[in-house]
Amino acid sequence: MGENNEQAYVELKNINKHFKDFHASKDVNISIPKGRLVALLGPSGSGKTTILRMIAGLEQPDSGEIIIDGRVVNNVPGSERGIGFVFQNYALFRYMTVYDNIAFGLRVKKVPENEIKDRVMELLSLISCEGLEKRYPSELSGGQRQRVAFARALAPNPQILLLDEPFAAIDAKVRLELRTWLREMITKLHITSIFVTHDQDEAIEVADDIIVTNLGRVEQAGTPRELYSDPATPFVARFIGNSIPVKNFDRFNFFEKKNNSVTAIVRPEFVSVFKKGENLRYPKSSEEAVVEDIIFRGSNLEIRVRLHDNLLSSVRSINEPAISVGEKVDVFIYRLFVIDGDDISLVSNRTLNAESVVI
Amino acid sequence: MKRKSIIPGFGLSFGITIAILSLVVLIPLCSLVVFTASLSPEEFIYTVTRPRVLSGYFVSISTALIASLVNVVMGLILAWVLVRYDFPGKRFLDGIIELPFALPTAVAGISLTHMTTTNGWVGSVFYDLFGIKIAYTRLGITIALIFIGIPFVVRSVQPVLEKIDIQYEEAAMILGADRVMTFSKVILPEIMPALISGFTLAFARCIGEYGSVVFIAGNTPYETEIAPLLIMSELQEFDYPAATSIALVMLAIAFVILSVNAVIQSRVAKRVSGLA
Amino acid sequence: MKIRKNNGLLKWVLIIISFIFLAVFLILPLIYIVVSALREGFSAYIASITDEYAVKATLLTLQVTVIAVIVNTIFGIAAAWCLTKFAFKGKKVISTFIDLPVTVSPIIAGLIYVLTFGRQGPIYSILDGWGIQIIFAVPGIVLATIFVTFPFISRELIPVLTAQGTDEEEAAALMGATTLRIFTKVTLPHIKWALLYGAVLCTARAMGEFGAVSVLSGHLRGKTNTLPLYIELLYQGYDFTGAFAASSLLVIMAVIILILRLILEKRGKKELDICK
Repeated sequence: MGENNEQAYVELKNINKHFKDFHASKDVNISIPKGRLVALLGPSGSGKTTILRMIAGLEQPDSGEIIIDGRVVNNVPGSERGIGFVFQNYALFRYMTVYDNIAFGLRVKKVPENEIKDRVMELLSLISCEGLEKRYPSELSGGQRQRVAFARALAPNPQILLLDEPFAAIDAKVRLELRTWLREMITKLHITSIFVTHDQDEAIEVADDIIVTNLGRVEQAGTPRELYSDPATPFVARFIGNSIPVKNFDRFNFFEKKNNSVTAIVRPEFVSVFKKGENLRYPKSSEEAVVEDIIFRGSNLEIRVRLHDNLLSSVRSINEPAISVGEKVDVFIYRLFVIDGDDISLVSNRTLNAESVVI
Repeated sequence: MKRKSIIPGFGLSFGITIAILSLVVLIPLCSLVVFTASLSPEEFIYTVTRPRVLSGYFVSISTALIASLVNVVMGLILAWVLVRYDFPGKRFLDGIIELPFALPTAVAGISLTHMTTTNGWVGSVFYDLFGIKIAYTRLGITIALIFIGIPFVVRSVQPVLEKIDIQYEEAAMILGADRVMTFSKVILPEIMPALISGFTLAFARCIGEYGSVVFIAGNTPYETEIAPLLIMSELQEFDYPAATSIALVMLAIAFVILSVNAVIQSRVAKRVSGLA
Repeated sequence: MKIRKNNGLLKWVLIIISFIFLAVFLILPLIYIVVSALREGFSAYIASITDEYAVKATLLTLQVTVIAVIVNTIFGIAAAWCLTKFAFKGKKVISTFIDLPVTVSPIIAGLIYVLTFGRQGPIYSILDGWGIQIIFAVPGIVLATIFVTFPFISRELIPVLTAQGTDEEEAAALMGATTLRIFTKVTLPHIKWALLYGAVLCTARAMGEFGAVSVLSGHLRGKTNTLPLYIELLYQGYDFTGAFAASSLLVIMAVIILILRLILEKRGKKELDICK
């Protein structure tokens, strides 16, 4: 991770975990500094939830160490690891009021009832749910339920907050609002937080750092920007951002084969499309292509062009002169990710070599 | 009455339903109502307050209550074991629970009776060791009713227990609750409605039970005479007004129990579904 | 996972309690019946079950059971079809009346038939004029048996048909299929397991019904004595071997029913899952 110089607060060392024959975690090494908001991102079955559940003490690793605040916690029960957990479906106790749900963790610890009351009220105001304390979970909206689950997890003052797909059970519209809300809340409380998601937009938007998992392994950890501009593996390049595979990039002008590999990934931002006669910066290195499709994306247009049998995408502002389907256009490719087995490297158009790479 | 539907067969199916329902249920019920109307209130009150009848109600209700409570505890344990644990013989255990539904009550009755008399397999052990008589006592009645009631609680609780999301228990655990607290605060409230429902069904069945009880009861007036047996004796003497009076009180008791359960279930359903 | 760990002791304690409880209350009585039936040797056993009256009682029981299952199957299909495929007023009332019989004590069930068809009722003289006798005769036994098993089949069919909805029938009807065709080709495949399951439950209860049949039977040996009543007669006549031998026939039936139930329940659950 980019912050390797910072002291790790939550650390997983060489973790392996099997469920019967299924290898859910393979040599997982993770290091999370205090106060960071981290996303565990990966497709379903990639082992991200298993990692979260092992940190919470809900699963035991077969081998490896889980370290929280410098202490190996493998044999410490989840309730004594100083964590709060927000479940995917919130797991609010249906037969308890909002008040009793939030108070549960405090009552377990035999906190005096008047202190519990102060803490519950404080949390209710934090989550802007004052006045809902007597309601039952069934009488709340999806967003309110999530906030209450959040408050319940926070009530015993955990040092770490773990959230399992915190937005999965919410309507798309409310989800965007809650993302912002959660980010603000966690930043405000400055609590080390780890959440699981399969949605890259969610991870990029909410998290300080992202840990990408695939097939039980950690593919890469870093800031959203690092993952985007410097993917460590082909999987990360494909998973983060909009990625278009290219079979034979060596046929593009000013790109050369690398170690015999001709496959690559091109993002729409790497491609510019110019109308014939438009002012070209790189007239010589542009190639002619035919527009196959134009898709209106609200604030801009996605232009799909066919070049050497590859369908490339590019984004074009709606303010620029209109292009129509079938039109011949000039296409310039700035750079692409060359994939060579498990390796990935950024290759720039040779015309740009003199200039520095800025994405 | 009928919404236009493209699916045919409404007339036919409705006709058959109403015809058979009338013959089997509605007409007999009507005649009960008609017959009840012909009873004089004084006679009714006199019949149902005779000490022997009151004692019959008491015996029926008290033994049914104890048997159903035993079945609540055992039914919960059985359901828990069947849902949460894996062990050899589980399928057998699951299947055998329905035996009281499948075995004719009279067969169960004579078997339990014969086993528990003072020289029976089980009865002799209890009599010789503890001086406890089982057959021909209220204890015997209770045992027959426990037999009858076993499936009710298990079959009410089992599906609910199966559906409880493990996340509830995990949430309680992470918040620091121990096993006792997790069970009492999180799991028990979830299965409480089903427990109550199973108890009610078992109890309603037990107070009306005849076949399995009549043999083991011994039918000593004021001691082990159950209310259904009183109805039976009145019928054998062709005293229909008395039989009907005793039956009406029993129907009323059953109705009250089932209604209380219905109210509890609908309240719970409201809380859980959030529909006001 | 943590929750499921550390409770090995509790787990086995609960499993052992369950096994002991069921062994004492359910399995011991079964074994007892078999042992008692064979107490006087196998030939005495064969003699008991091939006794003229035993055979007659068995045949009457089978006859009553078959009629009850047929009537309840027809009723169950009609009621389930009309309650699930159409919207009309009074649905709730009808389903309440369908479920009512199982909550009524069997003795009271017998009583209301006595009141309806007995000598003091208006229907008696009409039927008597035609030479039809209901109570203390086979028709009364049949009616009582239908009554106590009344909802058994419809109650199994309704959830399946509700889950399945009306789309498929509507589609078939739009394509011009006849009622019979829709039922046999579209609906029946969905409900066949539930139907069989209900029929098995119905058979179990019908064969074993004691209380209601006891009220309505004239207890005429060889004429209106069903197997359970015959067992009672033998038991009260201190012919224990005969009583247990006859009981063993019903035990065999009960075991077959339990096995069938397990098989059908599995199939039925699958079907319900598909519908959902």
